[in-house]
Amino acid sequence: MSEIQTLLERQARWQKERAQLPWPEKIRMIERVRADFEKWIAAVRKGSPGNQDGSPAIPDSSKSNP
Amino acid sequence: MDSTRETGGPATARIAGRGRHREPCAVRCYCATRYTEPVFTIDVDVLVTIPNGEELNPLRGIHEYCEKKGYHAEGATIRVGEWPVQFIPVFSALTQDALENAETVEFEGVPIRVVRAGYLAVIALSTGRSKDHQRILSLLESGNTSRSELCALAEHYGLAATWEKFAKRFLNE
Repeated sequence: MSEIQTLLERQARWQKERAQLPWPEKIRMIERVRADFEKWIAAVRKGSPGNQDGSPAIPDSSKSNP
Repeated sequence: MDSTRETGGPATARIAGRGRHREPCAVRCYCATRYTEPVFTIDVDVLVTIPNGEELNPLRGIHEYCEKKGYHAEGATIRVGEWPVQFIPVFSALTQDALENAETVEFEGVPIRVVRAGYLAVIALSTGRSKDHQRILSLLESGNTSRSELCALAEHYGLAATWEKFAKRFLNE
């Protein structure tokens, strides 16, 4: 089995195991990602150079996965 | 818990569990995370019943209550601690029953009502976006609902054909 295959299988196992965590712990994980996401959004809105084709780096609507 | 870092669930339970809007419950992504692996989301969706369905702005009471408590509106949501919270009045028999059959669980010591996995999946089925399909599969994988439960619920709420299509596409093994 290739090293990549082993790596992917380990990652899949880890992702499945995360489902067993207590709900508050999972929410805290999401909050950590959200905090970084919001910082990124704020930075982009402050002075984004946008993409090379001139379009904004992110869409106005930041809502995801409601 | 630090009030500036409160998580959406308990905070929402505190503000929404009072006043005229009794028995609200968390729904959609935030709630699904109880059963599945963590999935990134921006906001918390909360199902509520509105006592007087004929009001022009059915959420006015909730918004006024939140404002009094220092939770301010941000567009269509209310900022509660770290989370924008969106209150969604029940809009169908399915969402009404999902709310009525919600279970109460403790979230860091605060009781919060959450929609059961089967109802969450069927609400996702009714919405039908690709991420909803993913949510149904995750809920099934979690073991908190089953194909037979979803089939029965889908049939009950007039979604039998949608369920059949979903099952044929994603569950044929």
